[in-house]
Amino acid sequence: MMDQLPKPPEVPPEALLRAIAEDLAPVRPSPRPLHLALRMVPFALLVSSLILLAIGPRGDSAILGPLLTWGASAAQFVFAIAIIWIAAHESTPAGKLPRQVVYVAAAAASLVVVAVTLSTFSTSPAGPLPGFVPPRVAVLLHDSPWIVGFACGIGSTMAGGVLVLLFSGLFSNSLATRPAIAGALYGAGAGLAINATWRIACPFSNPWHALGAHGAAIITTVILGALIGRFLGNRRLHIGGRRS
Amino acid sequence: MFETGHKQASRGKEVSVSEGDQELRAQMIRYQGGSLEAFQEIYARLAPGVRRYLSLLAGGSAIADDLLQETFLQMHRSRAAYNLAYAVKPWVFGMARNVFLMNRRAARRWAAVHESREDLPDFPVPPEADRLGSQDEIRRCMAHLSRDQVEALLLHHQWGFSFEEIAGMLGISAAAARARASRGMADLRVALNGLQRARA
Repeated sequence: MMDQLPKPPEVPPEALLRAIAEDLAPVRPSPRPLHLALRMVPFALLVSSLILLAIGPRGDSAILGPLLTWGASAAQFVFAIAIIWIAAHESTPAGKLPRQVVYVAAAAASLVVVAVTLSTFSTSPAGPLPGFVPPRVAVLLHDSPWIVGFACGIGSTMAGGVLVLLFSGLFSNSLATRPAIAGALYGAGAGLAINATWRIACPFSNPWHALGAHGAAIITTVILGALIGRFLGNRRLHIGGRRS
Repeated sequence: MFETGHKQASRGKEVSVSEGDQELRAQMIRYQGGSLEAFQEIYARLAPGVRRYLSLLAGGSAIADDLLQETFLQMHRSRAAYNLAYAVKPWVFGMARNVFLMNRRAARRWAAVHESREDLPDFPVPPEADRLGSQDEIRRCMAHLSRDQVEALLLHHQWGFSFEEIAGMLGISAAAARARASRGMADLRVALNGLQRARA
């Protein structure tokens, strides 16, 4: 009986080998999803601290107590990091989490925001305006609450946007199949992290304001993250010459 | 052929790491350090399996070879994104899946891919199914299974991935991966039995 000859090993095509040989600089391996998510913490804390330094904590913090101010915000912040961790998993070809985990995390984060808002409102509906607001402006804000809503929405969206841009730098190596979903997740993480701080600074606990204006800012950062994620994903996985 | 593996604690749960994958990890470290030989070794080991997987996803169409090159090019561009916490084989197969999906999205060839599913030239036959019928019969019956079942069935039985690895690649739970593969195998058995009864 004749021995079967072993199959010769597969060799990469010349063009592929040339492309790879041209760029073989040593690289540092990427951190694991949890480490990647924890790397975002200093950025989120930095932007959050700047917000608190600029506006200051709300004047009725003593009425709310440490649990409903710092404790609730810390819980939201932990949820934000957990969502970024899910986004990091979503960006890894061999490490995707089941879709149910994504949905449950998104639902839980939304519930936490709503629960914290309602608890804050039931304890102290509104605190005094920050000291730097002139009395005439304070009267105007009292008469036209939509101006406050607009200011909060724009302010927290801008802060969240800065965080999304910082995050997208760290997520530029993302290999997500659904880059828009991954982007939306880290956008949600950024929005939640900012909301965790903004709610301590904003003196209005009215659910229409807290969920409307602050919630709109979270939704905007989610959309911004999805757009950036999609852009980065398309750029990374652009299939040369076959794009329709 | 199934690789015999040993267990290694990772991410807080037990995952099967084959000796082959340990070698691949060592090659990956050398590749990340700038070794072209390591890339060639990884290519030689993984390219045949990845091509068959892409051929399965793309319905055996001629783009499988292009996608294979694109997968390894993406692997090269993303080599820094690889972390040793992950087994190399599912990471590369997962990337092949990404490349296929992005290509499908970009080229809007989804319909064409599905239409061509019935004429798969190199449709792999899982070793477990080999004794249930002829290769041709198995291929014909597999063409009637759902796409998700076929993918999970082949990833497990043909390429030897664990259900945890399949879950990580497809974004589903390990239980769902197991269910898809076992339902696929059960449906395949039923289809083959039906075919043989009809012939008798």
